[in-house]
Amino acid sequence: MSAVGSPTVPVRRRWAKLPRWLAAVLGFLAILGPGLISANAGNDAGGIITYASAGSQFGYRMLFLMVLITVALVVVQEMCARLGAYTGEGLGALIREQFPLRSGAAAMALLFIANAGLTVSEFAGIGAAMEIFGVSRYIAVPLALAGIWAVTVFGSYSQAERVFVVMGLVFLAYPIAAFLGHPGAGAVVSNLLWPHFLHSKAFLLLAVALIGTTITPYMQFYLTSAVVDKGVTPKTYQGERIDTINGAILSDVVSIFIIIATAAAIGGTGPLSDIGQAAAALRPVAGAAASQLFAIGLLGAALLAATVVPLSTAYAIAETAGVERSLSRKLREAPFFYGIYTIQLVVGAAVALLPGNAVSLVINAQVLNGFITPVLLTYILILANRRSVLGDAVNGPIFRVVATLCVAVVGLLSAVVLVQTVAGWL
Amino acid sequence: MWMARDPATALGIWLPGPYDRGMGFNRVTWTPGHERTPIGASGFRHLARLRRQREARARETAAARALKGSLMSLAALLGSEVKDPDGRSVGRLSDVVVHWTTRGTYPAVKAIVVKTGKLEVVIGARWLEAAPPSAVRLRSSRAYASAVDRHPDDVALARDVLDRQVVDAEGVQIVRPADLYLAAVGNRIELVGMEVGIGALARRLGSRRLRSRARPARVIDWGSVSAFAPPRADRDAHRGRRSEIAGEAGVGLELDRGAADVRRLRPSEVRAALEEALARHTAESS
Repeated sequence: MSAVGSPTVPVRRRWAKLPRWLAAVLGFLAILGPGLISANAGNDAGGIITYASAGSQFGYRMLFLMVLITVALVVVQEMCARLGAYTGEGLGALIREQFPLRSGAAAMALLFIANAGLTVSEFAGIGAAMEIFGVSRYIAVPLALAGIWAVTVFGSYSQAERVFVVMGLVFLAYPIAAFLGHPGAGAVVSNLLWPHFLHSKAFLLLAVALIGTTITPYMQFYLTSAVVDKGVTPKTYQGERIDTINGAILSDVVSIFIIIATAAAIGGTGPLSDIGQAAAALRPVAGAAASQLFAIGLLGAALLAATVVPLSTAYAIAETAGVERSLSRKLREAPFFYGIYTIQLVVGAAVALLPGNAVSLVINAQVLNGFITPVLLTYILILANRRSVLGDAVNGPIFRVVATLCVAVVGLLSAVVLVQTVAGWL
Repeated sequence: MWMARDPATALGIWLPGPYDRGMGFNRVTWTPGHERTPIGASGFRHLARLRRQREARARETAAARALKGSLMSLAALLGSEVKDPDGRSVGRLSDVVVHWTTRGTYPAVKAIVVKTGKLEVVIGARWLEAAPPSAVRLRSSRAYASAVDRHPDDVALARDVLDRQVVDAEGVQIVRPADLYLAAVGNRIELVGMEVGIGALARRLGSRRLRSRARPARVIDWGSVSAFAPPRADRDAHRGRRSEIAGEAGVGLELDRGAADVRRLRPSEVRAALEEALARHTAESS
């Protein structure tokens, strides 16, 4: 464990002959890891459609909320990375140990529901991307389901993951598109620094969806497990901390650029009517090929998340139950792990094939995540506040207040929207 | 007399293809009106293996039934009422403390922690009497209770072992006990096994009645888990939770050199182990 966790010293020696600036850049890249990957996992199909919808429906008005969400994301991700590094255990295992069994089971049930919603949105993203290429989603989604399952269970998941990640890099075109789209610089800065909120149900609902898609519970479980797998120890935690904070900020910067680019292209035209409309924001970069470029990126991001989200669910629940969990095991050796994974994939694909508007399906899945997020964040907060869990690395008094405030505000917003939604049904 | 070649067709049942293809389930080896197909050597071996498996299952079921009366599930015990010989409630069981030692295979119960109102008191094992499957009684209504005061060699099973990870020498998680099993051996109560997995968890999430249904067939022999010295201070100095488990309790838990040694005992083996322990105990006391 420790051998994996402390590679920095020999690497630094190796870089001693390099120019200082190059060594600094390589040093920065070397510490990029679970934090960046997990935070960027938030920019999945659901995330991109939600950010694009925010830009299309409310222009730049959501930007200040994104700044607040970034602060909350940094706080939450840092707590998760610290829990992983100091305890050597994933969130699922910690919840099993530190909470009564029924509370732990409730947390896992909520995680399953939240991630099932996400999986639905990923398959909806796959269907929508393939429809841009003229392939019916009724063909694309079942094929993707079979392909993902077969690659994960029988094939090489890591190779497939690399392909999906490269495809998802298309979304790095958004920052360029945001500049080329000539957004009003004054309006952008004003909306970033000062709230321009609207008191409407649609605004609140989309705010909860933004929270749900940015501070997704599965990312927290993934990050903690990845930190443990990477072998980060308290001694090597500082590097991991920088990576986590960088990852959260960089990921949200991309999200903010998606909102700006979409707002500059189609801002104020109301909610997205179909997913292809979101491609309009890439026109300044790709011109007539914007739709195809958007579809490639969406497909890569959706395929990656459709693989990772159910895997993360299966891993967390199996970890909590204390049963075998690894892709290196055969189906027969880890039936529970593969069972949860398969159920989530099949349910996600089946719901995504139901008739209806894919955009509203994706947004609703993110809203569901937004409702569940504060509950699971409370578990994380309690764990990070316990000295018996983290020892001297427990949340300090100021951090505790900030973290509690973040969770409370997210919870309050979700509660208000939940009450409004339920009242609307009655 | 006319006889359909396929009995399913004769009965009007639609089958997706010829009945004797497929994976071998429900394969008809003989169709009325046709000659019986002779079973080859491999068929005989297959049947013999099935017969042996059925006999072994029957033996295990019988042994499991016999064990049911002697094993006590910790999950079922926790929260149950502790009564004195007159049947009066003393309080509710909140933990079971065992004395951890490298000498014996099965740690003996040293005391129980009973919650009476808001207070928690410790009652020594000498005042206790096991009443399987899910109760502990006091031998005397004048049992001596003291305030909770933990000794370095004491391990509170609910607090320190149940749901915690049992680790190997490398610190890699192997199993997480979902239930622990106690058994009365002579006049002692010993920790004899643990259960891992979804079944035990599901039982614990269910009603109290469900929790008391011990499943000896799933018990892992506690003999596979040995005590070891407290973990190295340098590794755990900054790890709050790990140092709490290992440091405060004074011990950690370790599996015998990797998962390969963890044996899931059959009920007959658990029974044999218990009988052996009882014989050893009788020999020691005489």
